[in-house]
Amino acid sequence: MTQVDQFESVFRAAAKPVFHPAAVELERVLVVTDLPPSEAQGYGAQVETFLRHAASADAASYDTLAGVEARSTGQLLQLVEDAAPSLVCAYRNLFSDGWQWPHSLGEALDLLTQTSEVPVLVLPHPKEGSQAEHALQNINQVMAVTDHLAGDDRLVNWAAAMTQDGGTLTLSHVEDQSVFDRYIDVIGKISSIDTDSARVSIEKQLLKEPADYIESVREALAKAGTPVTVESEIRLGNHLSDYRTLVAEHEVDMLVLNTRDDEQLAMHGLAYPIAVELRDIPLLML
Amino acid sequence: MPTTLLLALSEGHHDVPMSVTLLFTGILVALIVSLALEEKIHAKKSLIVGVFAIIVLLLGMVFQVVPGSVPVHVGGETLTLPIYIPSIDWSVIAIILGSSLFVDVTSKSGLFTWIAIKLTKASAGDPRKLLWFYGLMTVVFSAVLNNVTAMIIVGSLTGVSLRKLGRAEMMLGFLLVEGLLTNIGGLLTLISSVPNIIVGTAAGISFVSFFIAAAPFVVVATGLTIWMGAKLFKIESLATDDERKDALEQVSAFDENDGIESKGFFTFASLMLGAFIVVIATTSVLPYVKELGMGYVAMTFAAIMLIRYKSSVDTYYKAVDWDLLGFFAALFVVIGVLEHAQVLGLIGQGLEVIIGWGDVAGTGAILIASALASSVTDNIPLAAMLAKILSSLGTPSDSPLWWSVVFGANLGGNITPIGSASTLVAVTIMHKNDLKVSFGGFVAKAVPYAAIQLVIAVAYVLLFLA
Repeated sequence: MTQVDQFESVFRAAAKPVFHPAAVELERVLVVTDLPPSEAQGYGAQVETFLRHAASADAASYDTLAGVEARSTGQLLQLVEDAAPSLVCAYRNLFSDGWQWPHSLGEALDLLTQTSEVPVLVLPHPKEGSQAEHALQNINQVMAVTDHLAGDDRLVNWAAAMTQDGGTLTLSHVEDQSVFDRYIDVIGKISSIDTDSARVSIEKQLLKEPADYIESVREALAKAGTPVTVESEIRLGNHLSDYRTLVAEHEVDMLVLNTRDDEQLAMHGLAYPIAVELRDIPLLML
Repeated sequence: MPTTLLLALSEGHHDVPMSVTLLFTGILVALIVSLALEEKIHAKKSLIVGVFAIIVLLLGMVFQVVPGSVPVHVGGETLTLPIYIPSIDWSVIAIILGSSLFVDVTSKSGLFTWIAIKLTKASAGDPRKLLWFYGLMTVVFSAVLNNVTAMIIVGSLTGVSLRKLGRAEMMLGFLLVEGLLTNIGGLLTLISSVPNIIVGTAAGISFVSFFIAAAPFVVVATGLTIWMGAKLFKIESLATDDERKDALEQVSAFDENDGIESKGFFTFASLMLGAFIVVIATTSVLPYVKELGMGYVAMTFAAIMLIRYKSSVDTYYKAVDWDLLGFFAALFVVIGVLEHAQVLGLIGQGLEVIIGWGDVAGTGAILIASALASSVTDNIPLAAMLAKILSSLGTPSDSPLWWSVVFGANLGGNITPIGSASTLVAVTIMHKNDLKVSFGGFVAKAVPYAAIQLVIAVAYVLLFLA
């Protein structure tokens, strides 16, 4: 019955996830900072100016939650819940001097990204002084990153919504080369499977699915009249180093990624190392 | 008259003692039982019939029923060939080999999947429309390709599309109806099924005559089968706008162009398929080609298509169903020996008794008997044997008896899951989709359809083809 499998494969491949555009409404943006009140309002205004480049964030109301109002993580979570914002803006290691050691996000962000449904925009730490030259100037270059792009409408809708008019939205998909090699090694030990053919076919199909999806994004955004250029970056590689390279090459102004994983309580495996290491540009964590 | 029949069948053969004829009759019964139990004994058809061919050839020599070799006159020269070489009907083998290669390469163009997905999208995901579209597609594919390929294409699409639409509970009804329709579509043309090829070739029925005679029945039986399927399996149209919108969104996600690797080859394959149908349909009137026959046409079209894959044609050779071809070759050898052993003459006596019941009862009884026999064993040996007997009787090509065999042999496959290769494929796809259907369960569900189809077939043959 291999012919049944063959035709089923053809039809399954033809049934592609198609992007469905949906409006992202930003009504209220909450900026959380542990800066003293004298600096907090200025910082909040700076974030507001930055975000207003995106049409979706232009009509939103902006509030700043200064450090004195939230002395503990529990208190912070409660205040965020009470404020019911559409987007929270914060930075790493809130209420801590852990930002001096670039190895963590800090307790507040860890919990905020996992306990709250609200997306969190992680900004470069105001005291660290390591933000990229182009960071926080505009939102002309937005990149969405994932290891499973096809069908992830929410990620793409947010990324498109945060791209300023005339800007470029880069949709990237990096398949883990080491995992791929491991499976090909195993296939190489199974005599009934042609290893060379498997390598070529699997790689082609793995990369084709996100490419097809990105094409549907391009078509849907054009049809909706969204003034954004869609580009794609699809490859086999090493997640972290490839994303680091892509961010540098494209001078990305905002990186958009998923942080939730339905199968675990902790942050999505790919999101944490990216969030820890890419400290010089804003990261929108969904 | 039995005596006349025996004389007709034994013309050219020497007298055979009845004990020897009965011995070979017993071997025939054993062959039929072995084929019926093919799944149980885990052996391929070609090997089963091949072993019987070896045995009957040896016994034929021992009992001096067949000569070891025969002279064959070719272009003024006389060749001496072993008896098992000229026993095989090579024109049938050529048609099957050529057609299967042609269809296999054509399917690589993405043409059939393109048609299948286009129809899926045209249905807008409405289950009732989808059943009609898939049903009609099954019939057309069965007629143009072959029953098994048609079932594989439509059945695999059914599984994928119904799951995507969230209608997996309808899959059993869809697959059953499609399985039954393969055998109805297999009636449409002379090359749609192997019994058609064997019987049509033996009767000297042209492609066009066959089509004109069979098409009205196929149209009526198709419509009735799909209508019954929709009623019995409660396959309804979508009721609300939300359901329709959601279904449309789901089927819109199918990309009919995904399986097309080359637009040029896709166009070429489409044109070649059209040309293949036209040339096959007109073979009997084309100068020169009519002498070479449909086997030549099929092999020629296969060769033209293979040029596209000239450096990897061996891939397609490997994909040929050699089991089926080996089965035919061995079967022709067995039937040839049985003919010499007067077994066919003996069966012919019984057949002539049935024919003697009159035009109405005799023709109807042969159709029903052929269907019942085809439901439990392979319809190809049955068709080959009956075609041989009817030929020996000098049955004219416009006799309804040929059509009784054609209709009975094809429709008998709709009574049980082992009645035809395509219904077996349908059951396999059901099992692949976790639908538990036993032998009895299939029969219980299929019999109402098969009974109505057979009643209509008998009436049709008697009223319009007699």
